[in-house]
Amino acid sequence: MTSITLNNVSLVYRLFEKLTLSAPGRRRSALGGNIAKSGTKQVVQALDGVSFELKAGDRLGLVGPNGAGKTTLLKVLYGIYQPSGGTISITGKVDALFNIHIGFRPEATGRRNIVLRGLISGWTAAEIEEKMEEIIDFSELGDFIDLPFKAYSQGMAARLAFAAATTLEPEILLMDEWIGAGDASFQEKAKRRMDELAEKAGIIVLASHDDALIQRVCTKKLTLRAGRVESLA
Amino acid sequence: MAAKDNAPEQRIAILPAMIAALNGAFDDISKAMRLHRVWIALAHEDIGDQHRRTTLGPLWMLVNYFAFVGTFAFVFVTKDASNPSYIAYVAIGMLVWFYLTETITMSVSLFQREASFIQGTTLPLFVYVMRLTMQCIIRAGYSLAGCVLILLLGGYGINTNWLLSLVGLLLLILATPAFVVVFAFLGAFFPDSEFIVGNLMRVGMFFTPVFWVYSGQEGIQEYAYNWNPFTYFLEGVREPITTGIFPGHALAVTGYFCLGLWAIALLLLGLYRKRIVFLI
Ligand SMILES: Nc1ncnc2c1ncn2[C@@H]1O[C@H](COP(=O)(O)OP(=O)(O)O)[C@@H](O)[C@H]1O
Ligand SMILES: [Mg+2]
Repeated sequence: MTSITLNNVSLVYRLFEKLTLSAPGRRRSALGGNIAKSGTKQVVQALDGVSFELKAGDRLGLVGPNGAGKTTLLKVLYGIYQPSGGTISITGKVDALFNIHIGFRPEATGRRNIVLRGLISGWTAAEIEEKMEEIIDFSELGDFIDLPFKAYSQGMAARLAFAAATTLEPEILLMDEWIGAGDASFQEKAKRRMDELAEKAGIIVLASHDDALIQRVCTKKLTLRAGRVESLA
Repeated sequence: MAAKDNAPEQRIAILPAMIAALNGAFDDISKAMRLHRVWIALAHEDIGDQHRRTTLGPLWMLVNYFAFVGTFAFVFVTKDASNPSYIAYVAIGMLVWFYLTETITMSVSLFQREASFIQGTTLPLFVYVMRLTMQCIIRAGYSLAGCVLILLLGGYGINTNWLLSLVGLLLLILATPAFVVVFAFLGAFFPDSEFIVGNLMRVGMFFTPVFWVYSGQEGIQEYAYNWNPFTYFLEGVREPITTGIFPGHALAVTGYFCLGLWAIALLLLGLYRKRIVFLI
């Protein structure tokens, strides 16, 4: 059974002190996590005591100002970052869409990028070949599929990434803000796709500033502020 | 007093930590091996990129190689170049040296170059290590073809000595992933090392018997010959062909060096692989 449980998860970024000529005083910021110093290093507390539970069929919308920790939380869920504290338990095959420059090769064609993406998610060449036409159809990229990825617009890249990730049927899908880049007709299709995925007892976590999108797609809403959970409804 | 009491416990605690690190490293490696399709595909992409951007593509490796071997063979014409065995000496020396230099200098910036994949996917780090290893081997294949051509033209017919040389090549290939891991971590922890290592490798050619022949001179050359691990990598491949002797000593030194290097590589991978994403 697909599920996600986070218990008191925190994450700290450690930055190496860089030599600077001027040392401006600290200003309190309404954005971002909390900046602190530990020894010679600066640290940013990006997540602080985050706990929640998701079960099959849940669609969670992550909201909060820039720097609230949304991307960081998604990366912790995906397993890119090991949390500095707390525990996570996840059951289900996870896939994630972060941004266009991540996990795609600009020089390679869209078609080739689909193959690479599939291989990275652990699919065999045959399985990818089988899904190829479906992915291309869903993305509506047509002949652009054989052009290098760097020739795509943001929205086109979003279509391809979304089509590839969802056709390969993850049980848990994590999506960062940029997925909103697609146009209205694509958003509509994407919404249907996400409904299907959730019906198949999957879990979706979507970070966005677009309240309407969250309203349309999600069943739960988690508000983050400075790395802490402000509300969960 | 208290510190003294703690000492044995600390020593005991190190062992489980080492074992945990090694387990982590083997886990990373075995996952990467299951994903072999990924690094093979990515290495092909790398070679393909070079083809797309330039007319000759990886063939530039071959041109570069011929240029170097040719230059050294003719600059040192007064001394040895009339002697075909010197040309073979330089040809094999350059082949191995180019391979090592390329591998090491590219390793230092490996994690930096792979930042987008490391920050966006959960692939084991060893996938990137194998990708670079594979890419370096493919590229060296072009120089190898050039080297074989030079040897054949120089009158070194294919014989059983070439088989002995293969042992040295095999050790070199086995050592490659360990070289990559060690220098990639070095580059991630100390970004400055990219420039230091780059310069050292450039200078290193003059402190390694790539084009000069060691015949018992004293002083710097003696140290450079005996205390330089690269010497043994070179001689392990070269001696069988130029002298026809089985390079037992060179292979033994290379073998021990590989073991040491792999031990360091496994520890680094085991202890720090989860930290890399925060460092790039
Ligand atoms: N690689 C990084 N190194 C240091 N700090 C980071 C890094 N990534 C994000 N942060 C910090 O962590 C906090 C949360 O960032 P992020 O998760 O990207 O926010 P959001 O996606 O909600 O805009 C911010 O204060 C940001 O400055
Ligand atoms: Mg973000």
